[in-house]
Amino acid sequence: MSTKHGKHNTTFILFLLPALFAFSFVIVIPFLLGIYYSFTDWTAMTGTQVNWVGLDNYRIIFQDITFLHSFLATLSYAILNIFFINLVAFGLALLVTNKLKLVGLYRAAFFLPNLIGGIILGYIWQFIFNNAITAFGSASGLAFLEVTFLSNRNLALLAIVVVTTWQMAGYIMMIYVAAIQSAPVELLEASHIDGATYVQRLWHILLPLIAPAFTVSMFLTLVRSFQQFDVNFALTAGGPSGMFMGRALLTTEFLALNIFNTAFSFRELAQGQAKSVIFFLLLTVASLIQVYYNKRKELEM
Amino acid sequence: MRKKLIISIVLVFAMVLAACGQAPAGGGAAPGAGTAPATGNETAPPAQPPAGGPVEITLVNNKVEIDGALRNFAALYENMFGVRVNIQSFGGETPYAPALAAMLSGGDEPEIFVFEGYADYTAARDSGRLTDLTGQPWVSDTDMSFFDGQGRVVGFPVAVEGWGLGYNADILRQAGVDTSTMTGIEGMRAAFELVNSQLDELGLDAVVSMAAGPGMTWVTGLHAVNAYLALGLDYEDTTIIDMMLDGQVDETRLRHFAEYMDLIFSHSIRSTMLTGGFDQQLADFGLGRTAFIHQGNWVDPVFAELGVDFEMGYVPHAFLPENTPGIFVGAPSWYLVNARSANIDAALDFLNFMATSPEGHEYMVVHAGAVPAFHSVAIAPDGPLSRAVNVWSGRGQVYAWHQNTMPAGFGMNVLGPIFELLASGEIDVDGFVQLFTEAVASIGPN
Repeated sequence: MSTKHGKHNTTFILFLLPALFAFSFVIVIPFLLGIYYSFTDWTAMTGTQVNWVGLDNYRIIFQDITFLHSFLATLSYAILNIFFINLVAFGLALLVTNKLKLVGLYRAAFFLPNLIGGIILGYIWQFIFNNAITAFGSASGLAFLEVTFLSNRNLALLAIVVVTTWQMAGYIMMIYVAAIQSAPVELLEASHIDGATYVQRLWHILLPLIAPAFTVSMFLTLVRSFQQFDVNFALTAGGPSGMFMGRALLTTEFLALNIFNTAFSFRELAQGQAKSVIFFLLLTVASLIQVYYNKRKELEM
Repeated sequence: MRKKLIISIVLVFAMVLAACGQAPAGGGAAPGAGTAPATGNETAPPAQPPAGGPVEITLVNNKVEIDGALRNFAALYENMFGVRVNIQSFGGETPYAPALAAMLSGGDEPEIFVFEGYADYTAARDSGRLTDLTGQPWVSDTDMSFFDGQGRVVGFPVAVEGWGLGYNADILRQAGVDTSTMTGIEGMRAAFELVNSQLDELGLDAVVSMAAGPGMTWVTGLHAVNAYLALGLDYEDTTIIDMMLDGQVDETRLRHFAEYMDLIFSHSIRSTMLTGGFDQQLADFGLGRTAFIHQGNWVDPVFAELGVDFEMGYVPHAFLPENTPGIFVGAPSWYLVNARSANIDAALDFLNFMATSPEGHEYMVVHAGAVPAFHSVAIAPDGPLSRAVNVWSGRGQVYAWHQNTMPAGFGMNVLGPIFELLASGEIDVDGFVQLFTEAVASIGPN
């Protein structure tokens, strides 16, 4: 046992232990406990007997129209959000990799919204949508601006997209900036000399070169869109109400908010836990598909 | 060498685990009310802390707005009796329920915490956290205690709150409305029409200040619904709420109620109603843009802050054809003494002091701005709507609160959206009755 190799292995394992310890206590054990609780009638009150209820929670949540609706709402939001964030972020990245004056200032300015917490951002934008824009509408006589966007289910969803794009585009921009700056200049210059237009260079040379940045950015925006909670909570709180499959419900209640409400408004913690497990599976599948397709577009140099 | 290393690693692990495991082991709690004996009938707490170091108790409060007043009262109590009372307040951005759940599952057992409705009560009961308060000196001094199924008192009423339809007395006087006629739906309609016909003369934007949008469903889904559940019934009469818990509605009553809500919604400032928050709703009324407001006396402190000083009063939410003179008065929340905590006796003493001493009365009425739940309190509340609540309850014209007996979340998250749709005009009275009936039916099978 005391061969040189074995000794090293022990050392490696010892070095790994602190991280492993932290990981299991902060991630693995809570995660497994969460899965266990989703099969019980857990209430989070210590001292209450926790009973095994099998698949009851899952049966209930699969019949829950609000859960289905929140999935669809989250999906629409995620698709719009991924598209807009990446579009804006890439556009900004192209802008700030040009030889502009004050380029550092622009970068900082575009990045700044990302440093504001989502709750605060939600309240600020709620004021903008409810008061500033409507006041502008009445003052300028533009009737469609007089009624706040947040009272229309589609516009309210778009409003969240606008706010989260504004919040996150600067962050994703930095990833694109790094990728654009590390793209080999000679290829771009060669195509320039060969007479390629700006659009051709962008489309045929730069985009393929920075495909890995797209993989990362789309992954980040996908995960963040699905996990959206704070802006949702503060900006619309799920509203406005609307009809879906013959039921009145909150039309912009995304998955995370739906889980929160299940757990803490309806006090059904175990059902909330079951929804979280489903949420985890959905997010895993969605991100695996996304990474798989994006990876195929990347090229080896 | 290696053995030593492994032993030390195991030891470190053991220490960390021990540190994590300090929460008291769960289980073994007696079902039903706790078994702690009441501490006799002394009206003042012991002047000396019991042996074994200074006693400390913790009170978890769910109203951030009275945090300061509560802290001052706790400091006063510590000065007088040497018992330290830690106040922890949650609310607003740190919602109370998750924060309390986190505390409890983290192994903290505060001596006193707030519970609001039936769901909170069952959770506390099932986890063995209720203490029998029946023998406490303050029990005979209030009608608002929380009783468990066996007739034992398990909750100390934090305050009394009430609401009807609040009005601006100056505006109604100018408009020529006699509020004494507003005790049935005909009188309500007539008054609304009278005010509505003079909006410009009175400088009003609309008749009522109402909120029904997202985040305000506690006004519609809880308080408005209580009119359906309690108006015109005896204080102990639970017919309608019992029907609801069985999945049934009283259709005639529900239709009258829906028509009344439609009357309110169609006479409200639309933007405030659909997207405005609490502040907007209060500002509209406080600035004299509306004659009525659908809010309870807990808004008094906000009016004091805004410098609103006109005379106010309440008329009933009289949605029925018959006369129903009375507003909804009840206790919004109760303190329980946690049977699993360390200093039960000290907690009982503290509550007792709050309910029976002049200092406690002053704290409740003057500093916390509450309508006290105890008969012996001689100080009259100062806020205009609190005074209005006192007028009605002084005459005994009160109807009960049943909204907290609905299943958790049902009022705010299931019924709330239905009100919003009626307010926005997406559904009419028929649609409202139908959706409401279906929603109630969904409670039934359980």
